Amino acid sequence: MKKALFTVSSITYAMKGRDLLSSRGIKCEIHRVPSGNAHSGCGYGLIIYGDAESAARILSQARVGVLNKKYLGAKR
Amino acid sequence: MIYLDNAATSFPKPASVMRSVDFAIRKLGANPGRSGHRMSLAAAGAVYECRKALAGFFNAPGPECVVFTLNCTHAINMVLKGLLRADDHVVISCLEHNTITRPLKALEALGISFSEAKVFPGDDSATVSSFKSAITAKTALIACTHASNVWGVRLPIQQICAMAHRMGIPTLVDAAQSAGHVPIDLGKTGIDYLCLAGHKGLFGPMGVGVLITSCGERLATTVQGGTGLNSDSYLQTDVMPEKFESGTQNLAGIAGLHAGIDFLNSVTLKKISGHEHRLIRHLYDGLARIKGVQLYMPAPDPHHFVPLLSFNIAGLHSEAVAEILNKHKIYVRAGLHCAPAAHRFCNTLNRGAVRVCPSAFTKMSDIDALLNVVDGIKP
Repeated sequence: MKKALFTVSSITYAMKGRDLLSSRGIKCEIHRVPSGNAHSGCGYGLIIYGDAESAARILSQARVGVLNKKYLGAKR
Repeated sequence: MIYLDNAATSFPKPASVMRSVDFAIRKLGANPGRSGHRMSLAAAGAVYECRKALAGFFNAPGPECVVFTLNCTHAINMVLKGLLRADDHVVISCLEHNTITRPLKALEALGISFSEAKVFPGDDSATVSSFKSAITAKTALIACTHASNVWGVRLPIQQICAMAHRMGIPTLVDAAQSAGHVPIDLGKTGIDYLCLAGHKGLFGPMGVGVLITSCGERLATTVQGGTGLNSDSYLQTDVMPEKFESGTQNLAGIAGLHAGIDFLNSVTLKKISGHEHRLIRHLYDGLARIKGVQLYMPAPDPHHFVPLLSFNIAGLHSEAVAEILNKHKIYVRAGLHCAPAAHRFCNTLNRGAVRVCPSAFTKMSDIDALLNVVDGIKP
């Protein structure tokens, strides 16, 4: 399964995003993001398992700001 | 012991609140929102779940609108000092606690002014008109209590907010004495800044207050520091709610507050409020029959009052009455209740008043015991 890491602006939005995506059937989990770069945000991100574009759309509609998207593409 | 000082802080707390505090200290002891290990994430999860519970209870747009503070006073100071600028004017009510009047008095040094609108207990239209009349071209905020902490008088918040918004003025509501007793719906009322005490009607522990707002971007921060966000920058984050939560949060208090909200949801606000109003009505009727008792308000109907009541006994200082009750192990609060404006309203500044405030745990027999003691007091 494809994976993507979305960096978000706060731990609150990470948890809100997780709730939202889970309720829409998109599996995801909160993950620590290494800090020290412009996209580190809160230091937490969401690992999305599945359709990252749909996930990004859902988050955007709910005004959960995604600072950075990284497509990992690795098998789970 | 009979505890009737729930307007100061609720006691006892529900057993579930005590268990949640204990669990947070024993099992969730990590710093929420700071580290990547499981315990820190679990702690952050507990904070988030409380935000969600509060957002649901007060019908806020989302958990990101819920800011944890030290107490209600802290939340009010954050709004007043984060929003107001030199030359701004604020309208408050004539029943305010010092939590509103003292920060505004301090802000006078920066050129900010305020004026008091008279409240007409039981006459909502007159109260709204009074607020409207107090507005000037410089009015930048209406800041008022939802319910007087001395007389229990409820202000018509929904009408005041509607009037304010028609004139483009935001509103701050001090709901320290109404939250947990009166339904507050942010969607319906349109309150811009709702300030809450966690330890009163919401049954949380002391040390947690709440600011709920979807206008956080309009406020400057008054405290800056570590939030766990954007750690590589010297600049304070502007992301809600963390922009207002510098420093480590009161995790145990927040977990307890969440259990308090769950308690209110399970018993239901309607049931609790109905019970408290029956107690207060019984108290009012009993006091009205005792010679020498001075009551200052009409019989407290739930539409215009929250369930608390203050009285005096002719010829006695309120503190003397409270001391007699104390000797009978009945705990009430006398004096001025940090609200000289409210006492000026009823001309009780010289001796204060004896305040009685029941809770969900108060029994009718507790009120009868107080009435018996008051009946026996000879001025």
